[in-house]
Order: sequence, then structure tokens, then C-alpha cells
Amino acid sequence: MFTNMIIGRYMPGNSWIHRLDARTKLILSVAFIFVVFFANNVAGYVVAIAFTLLSILLTGLGVGVFIRGVRPLMFLMFITTLLQLFFVQTGDVLWHWAFLTITTDGVTNSIAVFVRFMLIIMFSTILTLTTQPLAVADAMESLLQPLKKVGFPVAELALMLSIALRFVPTLMDEAESIMNAQRARGVEFNEGNIISRIKAFVPLLIPLFINAIKRAIELGDAMEARGYRGGDNRTKYRVLTWQKQDTIAVIGFIVFTVLLIATKWL
Amino acid sequence: MAINFNQVGFTYQLNTPFATQGLHDVNFTMPEGKFTAVIGHTGSGKSTMVQHLDGLVIPTAGEITIAEQRIVPTTKPKELNKMRAHVGLVFQFPEAQLFEQTVLKDVMFGPKNFGKTATEAEAAAKRALRTVGMAEKYDERSPFELSGGQMRRVAIAGVLAMEPDLLILDEPTAGLDPAGQEELMTLFARLQKERHLTVVLITHQMEYVAQYADHVVVFEGGTVVKEGTPAKIFDDVAWLQEKQLDVPIAKQFADKLATKGVTLDAVLDIDALADQLAEQLGGSAHVH
Repeated sequence: MFTNMIIGRYMPGNSWIHRLDARTKLILSVAFIFVVFFANNVAGYVVAIAFTLLSILLTGLGVGVFIRGVRPLMFLMFITTLLQLFFVQTGDVLWHWAFLTITTDGVTNSIAVFVRFMLIIMFSTILTLTTQPLAVADAMESLLQPLKKVGFPVAELALMLSIALRFVPTLMDEAESIMNAQRARGVEFNEGNIISRIKAFVPLLIPLFINAIKRAIELGDAMEARGYRGGDNRTKYRVLTWQKQDTIAVIGFIVFTVLLIATKWL
Repeated sequence: MAINFNQVGFTYQLNTPFATQGLHDVNFTMPEGKFTAVIGHTGSGKSTMVQHLDGLVIPTAGEITIAEQRIVPTTKPKELNKMRAHVGLVFQFPEAQLFEQTVLKDVMFGPKNFGKTATEAEAAAKRALRTVGMAEKYDERSPFELSGGQMRRVAIAGVLAMEPDLLILDEPTAGLDPAGQEELMTLFARLQKERHLTVVLITHQMEYVAQYADHVVVFEGGTVVKEGTPAKIFDDVAWLQEKQLDVPIAKQFADKLATKGVTLDAVLDIDALADQLAEQLGGSAHVH
């Protein structure tokens, strides 16, 4: 059931993008979400699509993986697009029935929203597909360092994040085995009406929570037994290093941003 | 329920970049009403095979026959619901499936899902709990207050309460103390005899295989490499060592004696070995 999810999954590789510093990828992925809004005409979207495609090709994973990654979110994208289509009332009226009206602005807006959505998801997928979750946590810790000055518990937050990420696959495996055990006892997870489907999840969620809490307590004990103390003076096994390729990536991104803004005057 | 696997293969996440082969070219027959043991290394495909026996996964190649049910790659999961009511599957560490507020309610869960009324389910649950040796005073307790061994028993009762014809046990004694292991195995052997169940036991403990199994299936690298009676499987010590599988202690002892010139009939069971030795030494037959 969970095995076909692409979102949030790391796919090992040794591409140029894989080797980039996690901080670079994290910053650029966040920046992309804002930058993509500069596109407001066909030329702008062409530039944005071209840049995203180029980045995808550089991961060496193939476009197919990314398309499959977007699929689970199709429903959400579809709804958003429909809302745009029917709620934007400016421009020339193309079609009208009862209270529903489709206008030219509605059509262009919905296409724009759809493309934007798609690009943002694909770009974020590049980050998750090519970066180990723990590297993302390390990158966050490193980027949040300045907040330490104001007493923000950066190390603790990073630890929580890495533990949470570390246990995602474990919990998934466990969910699957508990599901199997309950299916063997006659639970049907994907049948019946919505109420019976929700009810079917109780025998899955209760054991899952209980085991997760048990495991958390054990993990805490094990860490304390080995004298773990977070925060200052802790060295890291994986050290993030900024390299030439990171500078190149950032410059590439800036060039893209400038190009995108320039399309305004086309 | 007789079970037959014919050229069965299973690939995880077929048609994705994550595709990995779980089983390939699996062929075996498990006789009806008998005790079959499945042995093999961790990762040899035993547990994947077990999921096929309950229709939890559908093979991606080949054909499985379980009693009258035929399962092929095009079989829809829904078609297997009926079969599942006759199959009891005890997973590794089955206590992870407990979720209800009371022990009794948890054990009633299975029978109720398979269409039993509350009264019928309660009666079946109580019978199952007594069978596994859980006294009535525990019925209204929360399963999470019990000890590990008791939780295991309750979880097993939850499967037995469905009154299956085919009982599959995936390392049911793992993590229990030796006395607890012995008790459970004796229970399974007794149930199998009394109710003429078809039992499939996955285990790493060759002593249990030697003692209880009528038939043995050996897995390696996702396929079956040998199948036969325990006597046949344990006969070739060199082969077992090559596969890094243990030899039952009675057999080891008899083989050692053989090198010293003491000849005995082939034995796998400690009691049978003791009987033979007592006879040769001129003593009285040993009391079981």
C-alpha cells in the first residue's frame, strides 16, 4: 500500500544533483517556490519549465519517476484548477450555465495554477529524491544555527527531526505487518463505505501508536545509557562542505531567476 | 487443506524501479491434515511465501492451489476473502496485533469479522483462550497489562478463535523463554492431532522440525531447494552444513556414536534415541 509512494523517498544515485550540498538543495528548493511566481506569461513559464526539466535530467533518475511522484497529488491539483476555472469572473465570458461561468481569465489562471503547482512539486521532489533525509535534517540544523543566538533549541529540533525521519521507514514496515495481521483476522481496509473504512483503521492505528511510544521510550533509555547530551561541542559524522559545484548551482539559479524576471518585458 | 505451489514467483513493487524478487520458481506440496515445517535462512523467502498462503499477496507468476481455491496472478484480492476465513495466520511477534480494550474483545475480533454473531464469537473466544492456557480472570483485563508471554498467547488465541482448518505459524515461539516455547509447541502439536489441522510452521529450531513435522520444505534464495520427510532432509548432514542449517541434537549424537562403532537405527527424536540406547545397554525401556 505504501510501497508505491515516491514523495519523500530517497533514490540513491551519484548524479551531479545527488552530490550537491544538502543546504544548497534545500535553499534553492524553497527559493524556487517564490521565484516561480515571477512567471506571468508564456515565455516565463517556458523558462521555468525548461529549468525544472534541466534539473530533473541532471538527477539522472528519469522523468518517469517524477511523473509518478506527482500522481498522488493529481486530485488536489485538479480541485485547485477547477476552483480557479469557476471562481475567476473577470475577462470575456466563454461559457455560462446556471451559476457557473467560465471566462478567459479563468482559463488562463487555471492553466497557470496547474503548471505552477506541477513545477513546485517536481522541484521539491528533486530535493527529496536526491538527498538522504538525514542530510536534509543536517542542512536544516546548519541553516538554523543563527537562531541559537536568541536561545532557540536548534540542536534538539534537529535531533527530533532526524529521529522522526529515521523512523518513517520503520513505521511504514510496521504498519504493513500490522495491516497484514489484521487482514488475516478478517479486516478489509479498502472495502465498504467511508465509515467502515475509517473504523478499519482503528486496529491498525492503536498498535502502531503503542509500539511507537514504546520504541521512543526505549530509544531515549538507550541514548541516556550511552551518555547522550545534545547541543554544544557535538561533532558530526557527516560534515557538510560547500564545494565549487554548489557555487555553480547557486549561480545557475540566479541566472534562471534573472531570466524569469526578464520575461516580463517580452 | 492441501496446498500446492506450481512455478510460483513474486516480485515486490513490480514495474517500478524498486522491483525486487521475493520468490521464483517455487514448487511444493503440503499434505492435508499434516504438520509441515518450513526452514531456511532469514531472507530466503519463507515469510513471503506465508503471505501467499492467506491471500495477503497475490503471486506475480505461477499458480497456487489451497483446497479448492486457485490463485493466479490475475486473481482479484476480493475473491480470497472467503478462503481467509478458513486460514489462521500467526505472524512473527503476533502481540503487535492486539488493540482492543479487553483480552476477550480482542480474541472475538477475528470471528466477528468473519461473520460470527457476538454470542458465537464470545464462545469461540473463550474456548480459544482456555486452549492457550489463559485463565478466565484475564478475560476482562486490558491486553496491554499482560506480560510478553501472555500477550503472545492472547494473540494466538485471537487466531485460533477463528477455528481455522489451516494454521500457519511464522516463528511463533521467537523471543519466549524455553519453557514457554516448549508449552506452545506442545499445544500446536496437540491441536494438529486433535482437530486434524493442516499446520505450516516456519522455524529455525530443527529440534521442533525433527520432533513434530511430517513434512519439511527447505527455502533458499527465494525458492525451494529440498522437500521431503524430516528423515530425508536430515539424512544428508554435509548438505545441511553447506546450507548452514542445524542438525537435530539426537541425530548429531547418534552420528558421533556411529564413529565409535555403536550402530543405531536412524533417529531424530531424543526419546527414540534414548529408547534405542537403553535397549542396547540392556536396561529397561526409558519412560517418556
